[in-house]
Amino acid sequence: MDTQDLVTTAGMAYIQLSDKELETLGKAVEQMVDFFEKMGEVNIEGLQPTTHAFIKKNRLREDEVRPSGIADEMLEQAPDLEDRFICIPNVL
Amino acid sequence: MSTYKSFIGLEIHIQLNTKSKVFCSCKTSFGDEANTNVCPVCMGYPGTLPALNQEAIRKGYAVAKALHCNLAERCHFERKNYFYPDLPKNYQISQFAAPLGTEGWIEIDYQNQRKRIRIKECHLEEDAGKMIHAGDMSLLDYNRTGTPLLEIVTEPDLEFGDEAEILLHELRRLVRYLGVCDGNMEEGSMRCDANVSINLAGQGLGRKVEVKNLNSSRFVRKAIVHELERQAQILDKGAIVLQETRLWNENRDQTETMRSKESAHDYRYFTEPDLPPFSPDKEFLASLDKILTELPLDRKDRMSKAYGLSAAQADFIAEERPFADYFEQTVKLGADATNVAAWLCGDVQKVVNRENVAVYESKLSANRFASLIKLLDKGTISGKIAKQVLDLVFDEDKDPEVLVKEKGLEQLTDRKTIRGLVDQVLANNSKAVAQIREGDQKPLGFLAGQVLKESGGKADPRIVQEILTEVFSLK
Amino acid sequence: MAAQTRPWNETLKPEGIKAYKQFVAERDKQVASFLEFDPLRAQGTSNERAAVSTKSKTLEGLPFGVKDNIAVKNFHLTCGSKILESLVSPYNATAIQKLLDAGAVPVGKTNMDEFGMGSSTDNSAYKTTNNPHDLTRVSGGSSGGSAAAVAAGLVPFALGSDTGGSIRQPASFCGVYGLKPTYGAVSRYGLVAYASSLEVVGALAKDITILENVYETIKGLDGRDQTSTDPNDFPLLKKEVKTVGVLADRSGLDGMQAKSLEISIEALKKAGFAIKEVSLPLLDYAVPAYYTIASAEASANLARFNGIRYGNRPIYSENPDDLVRQARDQGFGDEVKLRILLGTFVLRSGFQDQYYLRAQKIRTAIRNQFDRAFEDIDLLLLPVFPIPAFKHGDLGMTAFQQKLADKYTTAANLTGLPGLSLPGPVLESVPVGMQFMAPAMHEHLLFQVARALQSSLPSADPAAYPAVYS
Repeated sequence: MDTQDLVTTAGMAYIQLSDKELETLGKAVEQMVDFFEKMGEVNIEGLQPTTHAFIKKNRLREDEVRPSGIADEMLEQAPDLEDRFICIPNVL
Repeated sequence: MSTYKSFIGLEIHIQLNTKSKVFCSCKTSFGDEANTNVCPVCMGYPGTLPALNQEAIRKGYAVAKALHCNLAERCHFERKNYFYPDLPKNYQISQFAAPLGTEGWIEIDYQNQRKRIRIKECHLEEDAGKMIHAGDMSLLDYNRTGTPLLEIVTEPDLEFGDEAEILLHELRRLVRYLGVCDGNMEEGSMRCDANVSINLAGQGLGRKVEVKNLNSSRFVRKAIVHELERQAQILDKGAIVLQETRLWNENRDQTETMRSKESAHDYRYFTEPDLPPFSPDKEFLASLDKILTELPLDRKDRMSKAYGLSAAQADFIAEERPFADYFEQTVKLGADATNVAAWLCGDVQKVVNRENVAVYESKLSANRFASLIKLLDKGTISGKIAKQVLDLVFDEDKDPEVLVKEKGLEQLTDRKTIRGLVDQVLANNSKAVAQIREGDQKPLGFLAGQVLKESGGKADPRIVQEILTEVFSLK
Repeated sequence: MAAQTRPWNETLKPEGIKAYKQFVAERDKQVASFLEFDPLRAQGTSNERAAVSTKSKTLEGLPFGVKDNIAVKNFHLTCGSKILESLVSPYNATAIQKLLDAGAVPVGKTNMDEFGMGSSTDNSAYKTTNNPHDLTRVSGGSSGGSAAAVAAGLVPFALGSDTGGSIRQPASFCGVYGLKPTYGAVSRYGLVAYASSLEVVGALAKDITILENVYETIKGLDGRDQTSTDPNDFPLLKKEVKTVGVLADRSGLDGMQAKSLEISIEALKKAGFAIKEVSLPLLDYAVPAYYTIASAEASANLARFNGIRYGNRPIYSENPDDLVRQARDQGFGDEVKLRILLGTFVLRSGFQDQYYLRAQKIRTAIRNQFDRAFEDIDLLLLPVFPIPAFKHGDLGMTAFQQKLADKYTTAANLTGLPGLSLPGPVLESVPVGMQFMAPAMHEHLLFQVARALQSSLPSADPAAYPAVYS
């Protein structure tokens, strides 16, 4: 994994990296990625990937409206509010 | 232009009209006060989880089935990762590797030809919120966040702007028929992006340009026409079309490059761990048939054959499902189909337009309409009277038979009475009579009109005509 | 012998509350297990109608601690991170609601490694929690605050979450019971996600009966978590434990850890269980597979923290992108940034097959290996961590060493199987626990063996913190 890979990855993740972080975190990431190479030793032929540990029946929710009743409470948590809108700076 | 072949594919998003959102129990609605229909789930609060709405997946499968797709025996959701302020979790729950429907088709009528457009896939996902730009601030409203969206992706089988417009129209008609979406592009319940490319004929697809911000079917057509023209000019010069995303600028009638820092997106799709896969069972698949109905184009074909309608009439009547239902109900009540169609597309339409009401919800119930046409069919009233009766139905909210009786509007068919009227008219119009006797038949029509007028419009014009012919021994 | 203790269910009564508050404040000055403590705040938030039917005799009136990544209405929900410093939860996690309805009362939020990423609780943005058995050592992590609070006798039980060992490892470091239930047995609704497909809400306690009652209360199908499982979907294969498997290969263990294991094996034999050696060679691949999957899921799960809708926001930003980058730069600690970067990388197109997809397939292979092992045994005895509770800071383990040491705990998360860590013998200054793993939804086997070993391996109070309540 080279520096460009790290910078591109950081860009996708919206993680800002200082030059120092680029070095320290870069090393740590590299160490882990190198460690992951160990997985290459396992024969994975014919294996399906697992995301859900146990296969389950279909799980569906009834189409019912249940208002949260806490919309205002949640808006109070917003760092910047204008009326009922949450505000962020705009590109000018 | 003629040396090039064009390839147009559409990505159409339709909002499914469930009561609650796709992954939480908030209300789906348009135009409410900002950030009122929100909960911790759709606001992306830490610790919350999505819970799939059964009607959203059902309606999604129903549309896929109506579009003749292969229905996934097992579909699952994926996270599509990208940062945007209107997307609370900064990933969208969507489908990628296993969408609910694949490899279908839809047909359109374009320039009197039926054309089949292949559907690549249909997948269910969640809508984002809305970001409104206001000076140096952007305002965020998350009411729309989590509205179920079905994305329908076509293969690049379209060639022209107006074809794309017709496809959208056909799809709109289809989802309205199924009752899963109102198809309103202005309010955003149906949205469209277009992938446009051209190339020298026989050379395969060209470099794809994605055109966004097409919020009406007219804009879709115009943007495609513009884009084809623009790409042709580039190729004419021997240059290469840049593969990019462009936005339609409706004020300038042109597509424009979208300023984008990261042009090449890597969405890092991976299986959504919070939602188990979905496998439709027999019961679920059976429930789709309750939503599925005869599709607009099939209905148009059937009605035009069964009732002898013209293509234009069939198209007009099949446009809306309740409208077509109304037509067929009227015919079923014994009215002559040709007459019903003619009146429905003509005079009835004029009146309901004036009254600003859909005919199937108007005072002219199918029963009343059928009895009106039957009165006409039997000759009890003339066409002219029928128009009067039609107006009266709307004015007085009464059955046509009652009105005809009350107002004495039955057609005059008694030959003796009509003969009397004819004689009276002839006596009063000696000049015209003389003219006819001299061999000029022109005033005949005038005289017939006078007789009808004299009868208050009730005399059967056929009989008037016959008597006049008799009088002048024209046979 | 310890002085007479007072009952737990008196702590929150008007006549007991003052003394209780004082007691916790005093002890927690040194232990530093709670980030927020307010025993009266949750009063009246139980669902009264539900409460009538579900009130539990054993849990009624009991105070409990909650790891700060589990939502308790009106309490903070920092996850040990600066980025959520200002967030107050507007809702209750399902597990919390169920405990409230049973009459138990959440009294505070416990310290943790930021977003659950760590094995020491030293990765908290707020404070360092000390092991009540030896304050110079860590309490483990990431549920270190919950483990320390229980061990120090501040609460009879605490909720934690286990993504790769985050309940079992601190429990074993602090000498208490720590249950990691079967994946899906307890609803994750309200648990701030780190690695969604691996983690589960569980509990820590000194008393096995209380732990079992808590588990019975919080488990069950939940409409808000569609990955939660219906116990009825799992066949009851085994009613009781007969044979316990032990790893044939026990190399790489610290002398004390090996000793703890030998003591446990002897205790098991004495209690009448048959011992059978098993071999699980794929365990060597559990850690890389685990970190690949956990980081990948974390990179998406933590994307929502952007300073827009809640949480901390930079004082000034030029545009949305700048705002989000700054908020995340200022809000996340180094370990979190590392795992987000790592997770983003392993999901990138071009790398995903090599890392993420491969890890998921290895996960399947490990699962298959465990399934086969459980054909011959009823429970599996495993170490928890290769060494006992380590020292704070540079005297302890590096971040990388800590990750490698997750070998024995991550298997339960990759397979979804339940695990229970038991208080082990106190060797030198700290207890050295061990764990049992069971087939899916067979938690009852874990409780059975824990009871059988109760007398030979009790949960010992730290010398400095004898029990005041019981």
